[in-house]
Amino acid sequence: MKLPLILLTVIAVASFAAPLVSALLGGDPNLVDLLNRLSGPSLAHPLGTDELGRDVLLRLLAGGRVSLVIGIAAALAAAAVGTLIGLVAGYLGGWTDRVLMRGTDAVIALPLLPLLIVLAALDLTKLGLPASLIQSDEISVVRIVVLAVLVGWTTAARLVRGAALVTRNRDFVRAARSLGAGVPHILWVHILPNVLGPLIVATTLSVGDVILFESVLSFLGLGVQPPLSSWGSMLSNAQELITAAPLLAVYPGLMIFLTVMACNLLGDALQRRLDPGAAPRPFRRTLIAGKEKPPREARR
Amino acid sequence: MNVFRETQRTRRCIAPLVGLLASVAMTPVSAAEHDVLSIGITQFPATLNPSIDVMAAKSYVLGAALRPFTVYDAEWKLACLLCTELPSIGNGLAVTVDLPEGKKGIDLTYTIRPDARWADGVPVTTADVRFTYEVGRNPQSGVSNAELYRRITGIDVKDDRTFTLHVDKLTFDYAAIHDFMLLPAHIERDAFAEPAQYRLRTHYNTDPTNPGLYNGPYRVTEFVAGSHILLEPNPHWAGPPGRFRRITVRTIENTAALEANLLSGTIDMIAGELGLPLDEGLAFAKRNGEAFQIIYKPGLVYEHVDVNLAQPALADRRVREALILGLDREAISQSLFAGRQPVADSFVNPLDLGYTGEVPRYRHDPARAEALLEASGWRKGADGLRRDAQGQKLSFELMTTAGNRSRELVEQVLQSQWRGIGVDVRIKNEPARVLFGDTLPHRRFELAMYAWISSPENVPRSILHSSEIPSAANGFVGQNATGFTSTEMDRLIDALEIELDPNARKTLWAEAQRLYAVELPSLPLYFRSDVFILPKWLTGVRPTGNQSPTTLWITDWSAQP
Amino acid sequence: MIRFAAIRLVEIMAMLVLMSFVIYALIGLMPGDPIDLMRSADPRMSTADAARLKALYGLDQPLLLRYMAWARQALAGDLGYSRLFAAPVWQALLPRLGNSLLLMGPSFVLAFAVALGLGTAAARRPHSRLDAAINLFCFAGVSLPTFWLALVLILVFAAGFGWLPASGIATAGSSDIADRLRHLVLPATTLILVSAASYTRYVRAAMREALAQDHIRTARAKGASEARVIMHHALRAALVPVTTILALSFGGLVSGALVTETMFAYPGMGKLIFDAVMGNDYNLALAALLLATAVTMVANLAADLAYAWLDPRVSYR
Repeated sequence: MKLPLILLTVIAVASFAAPLVSALLGGDPNLVDLLNRLSGPSLAHPLGTDELGRDVLLRLLAGGRVSLVIGIAAALAAAAVGTLIGLVAGYLGGWTDRVLMRGTDAVIALPLLPLLIVLAALDLTKLGLPASLIQSDEISVVRIVVLAVLVGWTTAARLVRGAALVTRNRDFVRAARSLGAGVPHILWVHILPNVLGPLIVATTLSVGDVILFESVLSFLGLGVQPPLSSWGSMLSNAQELITAAPLLAVYPGLMIFLTVMACNLLGDALQRRLDPGAAPRPFRRTLIAGKEKPPREARR
Repeated sequence: MNVFRETQRTRRCIAPLVGLLASVAMTPVSAAEHDVLSIGITQFPATLNPSIDVMAAKSYVLGAALRPFTVYDAEWKLACLLCTELPSIGNGLAVTVDLPEGKKGIDLTYTIRPDARWADGVPVTTADVRFTYEVGRNPQSGVSNAELYRRITGIDVKDDRTFTLHVDKLTFDYAAIHDFMLLPAHIERDAFAEPAQYRLRTHYNTDPTNPGLYNGPYRVTEFVAGSHILLEPNPHWAGPPGRFRRITVRTIENTAALEANLLSGTIDMIAGELGLPLDEGLAFAKRNGEAFQIIYKPGLVYEHVDVNLAQPALADRRVREALILGLDREAISQSLFAGRQPVADSFVNPLDLGYTGEVPRYRHDPARAEALLEASGWRKGADGLRRDAQGQKLSFELMTTAGNRSRELVEQVLQSQWRGIGVDVRIKNEPARVLFGDTLPHRRFELAMYAWISSPENVPRSILHSSEIPSAANGFVGQNATGFTSTEMDRLIDALEIELDPNARKTLWAEAQRLYAVELPSLPLYFRSDVFILPKWLTGVRPTGNQSPTTLWITDWSAQP
Repeated sequence: MIRFAAIRLVEIMAMLVLMSFVIYALIGLMPGDPIDLMRSADPRMSTADAARLKALYGLDQPLLLRYMAWARQALAGDLGYSRLFAAPVWQALLPRLGNSLLLMGPSFVLAFAVALGLGTAAARRPHSRLDAAINLFCFAGVSLPTFWLALVLILVFAAGFGWLPASGIATAGSSDIADRLRHLVLPATTLILVSAASYTRYVRAAMREALAQDHIRTARAKGASEARVIMHHALRAALVPVTTILALSFGGLVSGALVTETMFAYPGMGKLIFDAVMGNDYNLALAALLLATAVTMVANLAADLAYAWLDPRVSYR
């Protein structure tokens, strides 16, 4: 438990402190220096420079910030949306449950690709978003987070629904109901705390998966747009230079690997602490080996 | 004890698996015999029918299998491939005709080479010419370049080999009919029974290995959609024979994988027309250049930044000049492209007949750029960015095709260089289909970086003529996305198309280029180069630089002993 | 249970119909159109030509009308013509489906075999070094981007050692089985490594739990051999995650693995779907996607039925 936590903290702090580090080192991750491309490690550039002469270390940190923000934001948002739907479906049961669960199935079975491509191509002005947001550099980040949430809420939904189904028949819930407690109150105070354990585990695991998802999006050309960099886009860009400058791919790959590993280990450790009886639950790993669905919890 | 048993069982399962894997892996990779050639490209042709669909991959494959009538050769001169002699007014085979309403047309007489045969032995005759014309004229057949067939008002067939085309417009390149690709009447006639179904029934799709479909030095003997095409010599080819008994054209879309395939020997060469982008090619050359022959050839792909003249800041010519002065295109060319992509000064390629070097050249001059911007009312603020009197930032959106790493690199350099003179540029990329299909026709852009693909002496009517500006009034057709309007340019374009005297044309071209370089409706960047990565033992590959695929001269390719 | 299955099947049908419209609409919502792309590649195509071609391919009709036309055709059994492959849809689909099954099927089986072996070994020795090593392998496998792994494998085994071909399904002109197998090795290895890592975690967790149950202890106390304990008792419990994995992968057999196929230039269903969507080839995209969706949903249904059979505590309302 300690090791992944320490690792994650170090990575997170370093990445979020990226602007500080840049200022300290006197560099700029976006500064193009055509005369100094693909150079090796040196005092000025501890990890060398990339294909445009930009400092790799600074880009790695700045990219980490983007990747982590995407990962955490998407994981939290997906968990929130999923929990809401799962609670409603599980507690109310009947037709609501049926409709919501079929909807969940549909989203799981939904072909991801056309959705991604369309969303990547959508004209945001038509949606009425403010011009300043659309023109900002960060819009591609927002897009990816939205995509990840649209695709990832199903895990939390199924999880929470399962737990809600079980908990709603427990005595203390029945007691609360007979005392006249309203549905929102019951959901919030009674059901939710019992679900928190596995939910936290699933959310932690999903951070790693979102980071991988983002790297695949970059591979397909639908990820973070320049000049913003993320580990995923750095990795995709580096694959073309694999014979000329292999280290350029090693660094972001290593960072992705370490972060995702740390997330998974953390999730695993949390699971042992909070929810010892459960099987591991994955986020969607689509585009890689088909569609996935979390295992049905047979013992609840 | 239990662990031991467990591992024993596992070992028993794994052993045969390893054995199978080993035997499979030990089968030797076929040694590179030099009578077999394997070419790697990044695209697969959807259809091999020469008249339907325009695809570079198709032109590449058909270059070896189907002869066009005419072609621009390596010296950028028009040459005859399937015909015996180029019609010209001088040799009497081209006769100008006066048409009603004061227009001029031309009659062109061609003779098919007497030794031309389809690969099933049937000779190429004027029956094929007539059939091709019939298909091309029919509005339902799905032919992509119907304009060509519309211009031909009639065909007179003199005999089996000679025919005369009646063309209703006299243009200076009257003799170039390479788009008039012959279809074999004896094979395709039944597919054309129902014209609306032709593109579904054409034998190029339903039966692509039929020898009768090809009349070039090679014919297609295997066609695996999405994977590869196999070419073998045409037994009825009368010209110099192809030196390879088998040529495989393999499609590998991912360029990193393409490189790996080359290194592992699965393919022998990467075609320049559809291969690695230049910066990747250069990186490859640096690492593995000694093992291969690498040819760089700048071509007719003109990379530039279109400027939307409807945008108020960009409508000011001084701002445009400042933008181009603020760019160090030489540095980009040198460092990103090792000098292999020469900086362009206008849209005409230096190898082209109409090229002139006497146009205003814009060397990197940030001081002058800044002075121009100051003079136009854009003052530099404390943050280094320029603002006008109302406090509006001098800020533009730069777009290009998403997923194209070369372009993304260049974009970021441009952004960085422009920031140096106080111009804020935001990058917003879109997939090609969106950029070309929607954004450019609707002129919803400020700065757009992309390429124009042209042909030798291609008159830029659709790009620079004022009648070709896409707008709501004309249904958003036309490629003059910048909105460039100049009566002088219109006059030059109109004149260029009909001027037959090469010297007079040169003068017109020179004027057009000068006007373009002064007005700067788009900012010239460079002419993109193709990278040909060939094995050391292959000779005879001559890139032309003018969009004619190198496979048209595939009989010159051979393996050095 | 039959009633349950029947109701679910009906729901699946309804879902497929709805999905067909959603997919058609999504593809149609993508701005830009292949004819316009064609124009950017050909300087000589005139604007009149572009308009004519659009009318010919029916691209100028409103979306709903086009969808209705497609639906009518599809219900009559005619899947239409694929513009991208210049062939009837089923003709374009079948060979790619075959390629995908050939790649994904054995990959899955082998991945599962590996997972079973590793997961059981780890479960039987909890907290040992073996367990930790296997755990590490699992986490490593799921933390690695697939395209990265594919590239490394190509560079090492194909470009580096030259033992295996770097791409394709077969050497041109050969229909040798050994040749096809050789071309399968690297893509299959990529898939196996990634999948096995993921599956092992399930198997390990389920086995661990199963082995901790009382009835296992009883069986051992009664003197049953270790093999019997594993095979008869624990395995039954492990069948739950196995069923899940089966359901998971079934959809994958049809929808392919886009990234792996792209890296190895392996013409399978994943690449087909991607190209069809990107190329606005409605007929092909719809056919392929609906097939993949249908298979996934039916597999999920089968998995749910299996759960009910495997674990009597689960019941369906």
